[in-house]
Order: sequence, then structure tokens, then C-alpha cells
Amino acid sequence: MSGLEEISEDERVRIASDFIKAAPPGEFKEVVNDVRVLLANDKLLTRASSVFYDYATEQFTTVKVDGEDTLITKEGSLDGSKRFYDPKNSKSFTYNYLKNEATDVEEEERDSGAEKWREAIQTALKSYLDEFFPAHVTAVYGKLEDDQVTITVCIEDHKYNPNNFWNGKWKSKWEIKFPTAGGFAKVDGAMSVQVHYYEDGNVQLLSNKKVEESVQISSPSEGANNVVEFIKKSETDYQLAINENYTSMSNTTFKALRRNLPITQTLIDWHKLHGFQVGKDIMNKS
Amino acid sequence: MNGQQLDCALDLMRRLPPQNIEKNLSDLIDLVPDLCEDLLASVDQPLKISKCKKTGKDYLLCDYNRDGDSYRSPWSNEYDPPIEDGSIPSDKTRKFEKEANFAFDMYREQYFEGGISSCYFWDQDNGGFAGAILIKKTGDGSKKFRGAWDSIHVVEVQEKGAGRNAHYKLISTVMLWLHNSRPESGTMDLGGSLSRQAEKDAPVTDMSSHIVNIGQMVEKMENSIRSTLDTIYFGRTRDIMNETRSLVDLKGKEKMDKVNRQLATALAEKNKKSAQ
Repeated sequence: MSGLEEISEDERVRIASDFIKAAPPGEFKEVVNDVRVLLANDKLLTRASSVFYDYATEQFTTVKVDGEDTLITKEGSLDGSKRFYDPKNSKSFTYNYLKNEATDVEEEERDSGAEKWREAIQTALKSYLDEFFPAHVTAVYGKLEDDQVTITVCIEDHKYNPNNFWNGKWKSKWEIKFPTAGGFAKVDGAMSVQVHYYEDGNVQLLSNKKVEESVQISSPSEGANNVVEFIKKSETDYQLAINENYTSMSNTTFKALRRNLPITQTLIDWHKLHGFQVGKDIMNKS
Repeated sequence: MNGQQLDCALDLMRRLPPQNIEKNLSDLIDLVPDLCEDLLASVDQPLKISKCKKTGKDYLLCDYNRDGDSYRSPWSNEYDPPIEDGSIPSDKTRKFEKEANFAFDMYREQYFEGGISSCYFWDQDNGGFAGAILIKKTGDGSKKFRGAWDSIHVVEVQEKGAGRNAHYKLISTVMLWLHNSRPESGTMDLGGSLSRQAEKDAPVTDMSSHIVNIGQMVEKMENSIRSTLDTIYFGRTRDIMNETRSLVDLKGKEKMDKVNRQLATALAEKNKKSAQ
């Protein structure tokens, strides 16, 4: 191939960052290790490591803080880098991306303005999550700005099974905005699922869906129930629709690409096929 | 270092989303140019189509009909763009290549009912020969669900026992791409590749025996991979998704399981009593 001139250091960092950012759920360390060997330059790897923040926050990476699970998210970031906030226990911590560990844990004071709303939604979510997610981790953030409350719900559930060459993750993010006086809340949701199967191959399911709705929110408890009801309906509808796609793709798209057997329902007679070729040659020559 | 880098490059390609395989491979080659030839030979990419300038027939592009930046048409045996001294098979192998193209065109028509196929064969230093059998089929783009299939079969043939027998080694990769976009399910991409290997010995009477032997081997392999794809794509990945979020109420399921267990115990007790 032509065009093998050396690329710039910036371009090498860009490629390394893109690779790391594309690591499937549960395979961050393996991908970083591959990239380290391919870069063969730890100075450049350090530059590329600024992408760790983007990766971990986009994946809603789970981490244990004082024995309890929480999520690494943009909403929980305190400095856009390594310091994060766990809204359930109101603790801050320093996150080590490669070791997946929280250190220097400190108690934090809560943003009292949004707390009654935040807490109500966190409580209402619990029962829904227990119903549908076998291993959920969630983080519910609240903030008050100019008489406007913003609650952000992050939900994550993964199952990693590298010994059998597969990993999967479901995640969703819900932003609920409303005036402190209550009324209607605008809810924006983004749900996604990724599955990686890599025994003798590399097969991935990548899917995402966005939804929005206006939800009545007059008191914390009533509002929380309405919001959780909307989340539950949205996620259930989305999951059912993907399952329907699977059925249609298997029954129609896949079958139309390649048959199980030829229309004769028997394997090809290669001797006969070849005989036909000889016959055609004779025809062409005569 | 280079061996370790190749291992890591291949590991990376096995992990990154296959939907971006072309960009990832080109980035990888930019990052480690020394691995270029190794990577192009060992990482399969979705097959590209070109039109033969001489015959007007479509053919498939891959690393096996590439020389520099040119590709050889299986119909005309000529490179496009034209190059001097482009590697071409010996007369005997070229004659076989033509027969193989004809046979696999028929095979493709029977199993794929459409699509494009191309076979490329070349002579090997050890006296044997090898080839690549490629098939591409793209689904109807007008429907909600889009799909594409790429088959890449690479076979090595070594004649033995004064040409009365031959040993065949086959490495097959099938890539299957499915895409869907509708309001209820958002966007959904299900794609990637699976690879399998097989070896066999078979009797040979003349060159055309190789067509029969390779044909049977490829047909068996492709049928088997199709069935595995069916299981993994539509069974396994779907199950894994439904394990990260349950389709049924887990608490309800727990209750049902408990009731069922109690029922089973009660029935067993009853049966024990009536047996006494």
C-alpha cells in the first residue's frame, strides 16, 4: 500500500483515544493494554489517557465507594477529571480509572434545594429497578438553579462473562426539568444496549433510542411516581421492540440473505455441476 | 516487539465494534505501519464491488486479488488500474480459477438467489496452490430491515501420493450485518463476523476433482456457519440483552418460582402418601 509516511504525534494520540473510547463494556483494561503496546510510547499514552474520563462517564462505569456501588457520570463529576460525587450517600471520592477504585472518600453537604425531589425519585425508582434489573446500579443527581430543578437519573445493569467470551450492558439516562413550584416536568430519556460476543469472532449488538415526554409533577411523591412510571413504560416498550426486531430479522432478513438449503432441499451435486460446465465449454467451442 | 504488537492489534480488532472495522483497520495501519501487510492479510473486511472494464461484470475486491493499489478481475485476468508485472496465476491455475468461478456462481445462485461471487487462485511455493472464494449478498434496502452477507473462504491445496490424493485446509469467515431503524426500537445494529477452520483429505483424478472437493467442503462449512450465526445472532446476543434487563417482573418471577416449588413439594408428599 502507498501512503505509509509517518503520522504526527497528535494523530497517534487521536487514534489511541478513539480506540480506547470504543472499548466494549467490561473490556476497558484489555483495550488500554493493547493500545499501550501498539503506541509503544508512554508519553503519548498519558496524553491519550485524558479520554478515560469520557469513556468512564459515557459507560456509567460502576465503582464501590465505602462498600456501596455508585456510577461514574458527567453529572457526578466535581472537576471534569478524577473527583466524583456519589449522590446516594453524599460522598465525594477520587477515581482511579485503571484500578477501578475510589479513594480519599469525603462526606459532602447536600444541595438542599433539590433534595426532596431527588430523594423522592430515588426512592420511587428502587421498586421499579428491583422488578426488572437483576444487578442494577443507579445514581440520582439533583440541582437547583434559578428556580428550576434538574434531576438526572442514571441507570446501569451489566453482565460480564469474559470466560465465555461475552459482555453486555444496558444503560439509560433521564433528565427531568421543572420549576420549583411544580407543574409539568420535561423528561428527556436516552436508552442504550450493547452486547459483545467474541468466541471465534466478533459480533456486537449496538442499539439506542431517545424519548421525551411532559410529566405532571405537583408534589415530590406524586411527581416521582409519574416519572418512574414513564421510565418503566419507555424501557419496557424499547426492550419489547428490540425483541420484535430480533424475530423479524431472523425470520425475514436473515433468511433472504442465504438459504438453509437450495430450493431443491438437497445439497449440491458438485459432480453434476462440473459436468454442466464441461457441457457448456463444448457448446461454446462448437 | 513486532509479534507482540501483531497479537495486540488482532486482539483489538476482536474487541472494537465490527461496525467500524474499516476505519479501525485504517487507523491501526497508520499507527503501526510495519504491521500493514500482516493486518491486511489477517483482518477480513466487508467485500467491495468493482466492475470489470473488459467484460462489464461485477467482481469482488479483497487482499487476494490485490497487487499494490490495483485489483485483478477474475473475468478478464487483468488489473485495474493497469499495472506492469502484476502477479497472475500460472496457465494451469488460471484455467482452474475460471472453472471455480463458474461452479461457485452456480453455488451462489442456489443458496443466495442473487449477490456476487468471485474466486481467486494462485500458485504456492511448495508446489501446491491456494485460493479465495468470495460471496457477497446485500438485502433489499427498500425494506425497514437492511442486511448484508460476506463470505470469505481461503483454501490451501497440497497434492500427495503422486497426485492421487490431496490435503485441503480451509479457513472461512462470514460477516453478517443487520440494521434496523424504526421509532419503537430506535436504531439497532447487529453485526460482525465468525471464523471457522476445517481440514480434509480427498481422492483426486484430475484438476476438476478439486472443484468437487473444495465445493463440498465450502458448502458444508458455510451451512454450518449459517446455523451458528443463527444461534449466536438471534439467540445468544438477544439472551444476553434480556439478562441485563428482564422482560418479566423479577419479583413476580421469584414469587412464581416459590409457588411452583411449594406445589412440587406438596405433590411429592401426596404421591408418597398415596403410594404407602
